[in-house]
Amino acid sequence: ETYPPISSQQLKHKMSLGPYAAELVENARAIAAPGKGILAADESTGTIGKRFSAISVENIEENRRKYRQLLFQANGLEQNISGVILYEETLFQNTDDGTPFVDILKAKGILPGIKVDKGIKPLAGTNGECVTQGMDDLDARCAKYYAKGARFAKWRAVLHIKDCVGATPSQVAIDENAQTLARYASICQQNGLVPIVEPEVLMDGDFPIEVAAACTEKVIAACYKAMSDHHVMLEGSLLKPNMVRSGSDAAVQATAAQIGVATTRVLQHTVPCAVPGITFLSGGMSEEDASMSLNAVNCAPGPKPWSLTFSFGRALQQSVLQAWKGEDANVATAQAVLIARAAANGAAQQGKYTGGTGGDAANASTFVKGYVY
Amino acid sequence: PGTIGDRFEKVGIENTEENRRLYRQMLFTNPVGPDYLSAAILDPETIFQKSDDGVLFPELLSKRGIVPGVKPHLKVYTLPGTAGETVMQGLDSLNVRCKEYYDAGARFAKWRSPLTIGKDGKISSLAIKTNMEDLARYALICQDEGLMPIVEPDISLEGDYDLETAIKVNVEVQAHLYKAMIDHGVYMEGATLKPNMVNPGKQCTTKYTADEIGQATVTALRRVMPAAMKGVNFLSGGQSLENAAARLNAINKAKGNSPWNLSFSWSQALQLPLLDLCKKNPKGSDLPLEEMAALLSDELKIAGAAARGEYTPKAGEGDHVFK
Repeated sequence: ETYPPISSQQLKHKMSLGPYAAELVENARAIAAPGKGILAADESTGTIGKRFSAISVENIEENRRKYRQLLFQANGLEQNISGVILYEETLFQNTDDGTPFVDILKAKGILPGIKVDKGIKPLAGTNGECVTQGMDDLDARCAKYYAKGARFAKWRAVLHIKDCVGATPSQVAIDENAQTLARYASICQQNGLVPIVEPEVLMDGDFPIEVAAACTEKVIAACYKAMSDHHVMLEGSLLKPNMVRSGSDAAVQATAAQIGVATTRVLQHTVPCAVPGITFLSGGMSEEDASMSLNAVNCAPGPKPWSLTFSFGRALQQSVLQAWKGEDANVATAQAVLIARAAANGAAQQGKYTGGTGGDAANASTFVKGYVY
Repeated sequence: PGTIGDRFEKVGIENTEENRRLYRQMLFTNPVGPDYLSAAILDPETIFQKSDDGVLFPELLSKRGIVPGVKPHLKVYTLPGTAGETVMQGLDSLNVRCKEYYDAGARFAKWRSPLTIGKDGKISSLAIKTNMEDLARYALICQDEGLMPIVEPDISLEGDYDLETAIKVNVEVQAHLYKAMIDHGVYMEGATLKPNMVNPGKQCTTKYTADEIGQATVTALRRVMPAAMKGVNFLSGGQSLENAAARLNAINKAKGNSPWNLSFSWSQALQLPLLDLCKKNPKGSDLPLEEMAALLSDELKIAGAAARGEYTPKAGEGDHVFK
């Protein structure tokens, strides 16, 4: 049973909701539709270059265009994909016959999104912690992206557990990133873009799942306090958190079921029901682990008043890239791999995924130590 | 004794310990109580009083399936140099008192932090911060002593603020509350909320229907209250039983997939009509206990129906109309 849409009386609020309130709510709910999730295809030029080099494909604009064309033209993509996050270059690219990518997506009922942050910069005086930049001209860029057809945005903050006694992430790292995320969200909403708020606590480290839970809870609580202070309209926003799991180097790895319980518990403590969807990042998990963990989250006990779904980059694309290898002849095969992976995650969103899609290849880790986007 | 004393005096009842005991006994032994009441909040004096048969009230209530709770806070204190902002006192000896009340049979507590919206449509940051931090600490101490804490941020109906302002202020206050609770390490699954309903101020000249008030209340909670907390028991805060019930009913109609129980925790709405029954008797008479019990049974049925969204109010009940 879902919550009825925001009423016209509520939309009359004097608080700074701006002219896009109804649209933001509708789009956020569409992204969080049952059985659907997000394809994160917003790798920057540098990052996609790393993916391409692993399959010996040259990192030129034409190859980047062809690869994204492969993704967006996959037949039936809209069955399980409600939104695609794009990098700025991609937002302005077209298919072979000159049709804008945004039009291809819109024709399928898939909302185009846009990464609007400009990467991380170090916080001096901390233990290697960082903040995300990109605020200064954000207002103007959001307006430009909306005009081109984007309807949601994404901004990634990065937090790192470097000890098991709670010293990291530090309060300044948490607070600064929470404030920035709230400000970014507010600016997006003023320009008609649903903000996806992404406070990623990296899986790098050897911490147990309990430490991950305490830290993720602290981070997400700070984010929602900041968003309340900044008058962000939660009904027109989404959260993209990490799942709560053991560190990548931990001797004991929590099971999918434990991940499900730990993750939902943190969310039940911190995420207001007004948020229509929580779209998890994959953060280095293998394709199969990501799907199984998402399934476990959806099967965990207790209240789950938001949609719990995926916003996967590596965990949707790793096998696709392997199947494509840059060859036109492989496009259809690669698209089939994408559709199958999207369907697996769609099933996981419903708590109905039993495993096995993609075979052994899907078990390959996508983790890169100290990964830089 | 102070508050009940005022209420007794207004209707000509002598404020003696025996009258307080008899009155509470009547409340706790109501025949339909177990059908509609899950819990009862008691003043510390009442925790140690007994029925005519010599049974301690907490035990009497427990045996009837009504969980006894206690109000362990002291009195409100006005912060010097402010425009009337207050804090609720009682944190210093709280753990000791909680232990006494637990040993006497109490299993939950309630702490009320009153707040007032000023003419500027705001509550001061100082008032919010200090009261919500106190509520968080109270909650933590209670849990350590085995009492489930009800946290009660009570925003007064005084003022002319509109419904949109009420939503905004309620969300602001509760956002601070839950952040403080998380920061203090309160066990969220083991705490519940007793808020005001989201109403316009008493002197607001805009008309609102009960349904609008219901939707505003659910909207506000959905913007801020954690799913982990299991229940909300709205205070009545001066609303008549009919208005409170009509609004609670509207709240339950607007609930959707919200994960909390939405119910009542009413003192004035249930008790003032009972006390009004004393007015027709000469000053200093005995309490009309049987008459009160009959009326209370009717009232509890109304409250229970509203808590299930099954109450049919009369036309106009629950609407806000400034007279």
